Amino acid sequence: MSEQISIYELMSNASLLVQIVMGLLMIASVVSWVMIFQRWFYLRNAVSEIDTFEEHFWSGIDLRKFFGELEGEENLTGIESVFVAGFREFTRLSEQSGADAEAVMQGVQRTMRVAVTREETRLETHLPFLATVGSTSPYVGLFGTVWGIMNSFRSLANMTQATLASVAPGISEALVATAMGLFAAIPAVIGYNRFSARVEVLMKRYEAFSDELTTILHRAAHSKSPEV
Amino acid sequence: MFAVRQYSLPLMLAVLLHVAAGWALSSGWNPQREVSNFIKPKAVLATLIVLEAKAKPAVKPPPVQKAAPPQKLQEKPQAKPREKPKVDVDIALKEKQRQEREAAERERQEQARQRQERLNALAQSSLDRAIEEESDSLQAGSEDQVAQSYRLGMYELVRQNWSRPPSARNGMSAKLQVELIPTGEVAAVNIVESSGNAAFDRSAEQAVRKARRFEVPQENAIFERYFRSFYFLFQPEDLLR
Repeated sequence: MSEQISIYELMSNASLLVQIVMGLLMIASVVSWVMIFQRWFYLRNAVSEIDTFEEHFWSGIDLRKFFGELEGEENLTGIESVFVAGFREFTRLSEQSGADAEAVMQGVQRTMRVAVTREETRLETHLPFLATVGSTSPYVGLFGTVWGIMNSFRSLANMTQATLASVAPGISEALVATAMGLFAAIPAVIGYNRFSARVEVLMKRYEAFSDELTTILHRAAHSKSPEV
Repeated sequence: MFAVRQYSLPLMLAVLLHVAAGWALSSGWNPQREVSNFIKPKAVLATLIVLEAKAKPAVKPPPVQKAAPPQKLQEKPQAKPREKPKVDVDIALKEKQRQEREAAERERQEQARQRQERLNALAQSSLDRAIEEESDSLQAGSEDQVAQSYRLGMYELVRQNWSRPPSARNGMSAKLQVELIPTGEVAAVNIVESSGNAAFDRSAEQAVRKARRFEVPQENAIFERYFRSFYFLFQPEDLLR
């Protein structure tokens, strides 16, 4: 065996099951990278969005005007949708005659909670997939490896003379499966941890903002004047 | 539409990343690829070729050639300063002397050339002979090498089959004569020199008998010469032929 075996030769010589495992892992790796990139762009976008929104919000702008600007837009995402949902509920409820201030505030809080939860689901899309790939693909790879090694030892049993050269290629090709499992798992785990931490930070900010908005609206509801 | 825009860039990046990883893996897979084509010779064969005749022509020609230049050097200083002031008679005399000298010179060169040719012919024939002898010995050497490689195979086989008795001690040695038939099967095993220990002798004999069949060369000549009957020397510290 003086010639070096290329990795592609190893992969093509592997048994069918090992090849299926390798294919699955390859797909898992590609898909998880797609999700990683997608989440990365999405979360970066969300962070910059909340930064600019808060800057705007606390710049002393008239909230009614601000609401009017945002309401016309379609596809509201992130913090803007929380704000629009809360404020719309507030105006609707306070326009109704005989609305109790406490009831108005309860309605507003409920709507905003719903909006925040919806945002949370939106932020967390794909993260479970990353977690699954991260935790299972090493096992899938290991399964391929164990299977490959099993086969190469079984073929060894038929030989009269056991040499390292008769098992080594089989073991080597089986180990490629583990390598691929790890190759898929490591970025997925890192991505999952990083993104879930970032989602948590964003959620904290959303909740803080909705509390702040509640305070402002509460003050407005109890001052008996609809002006904010 | 929104989803396509959202996922096309990540998909592209992911595919790109995997292609890059695959390329890196295939290009950096064999770190010592440059050395791998080196073929190690099994044995180095060095024989001395003696070329006695070649030494003579190599040494002789220089004196012949060297003899010429001094004369030319002598000629030049004579010719140049004298020819201009002297009269015609002198020139004629000079001319005659020069012609004579040149004739002698030519003759000498001719002789040298013939001599050189003879020497060359002699050298060539002896070189041919040397090459012939060399290839003959090479032939014998390759046969020897073939036999040697088969011998190594037998040695290995016997070594694997040999289970030494507990009473075996360093320094013991048993010599066995083994006879084979052309298919490589063992025809007879005789103990030629006993080690003095019956168990040891028996184990050695068993080792050869257990092998039953050895790989032997296909060529009958080599077989007859090396493997029809040969000796195995068993020694506990190592198995030696």
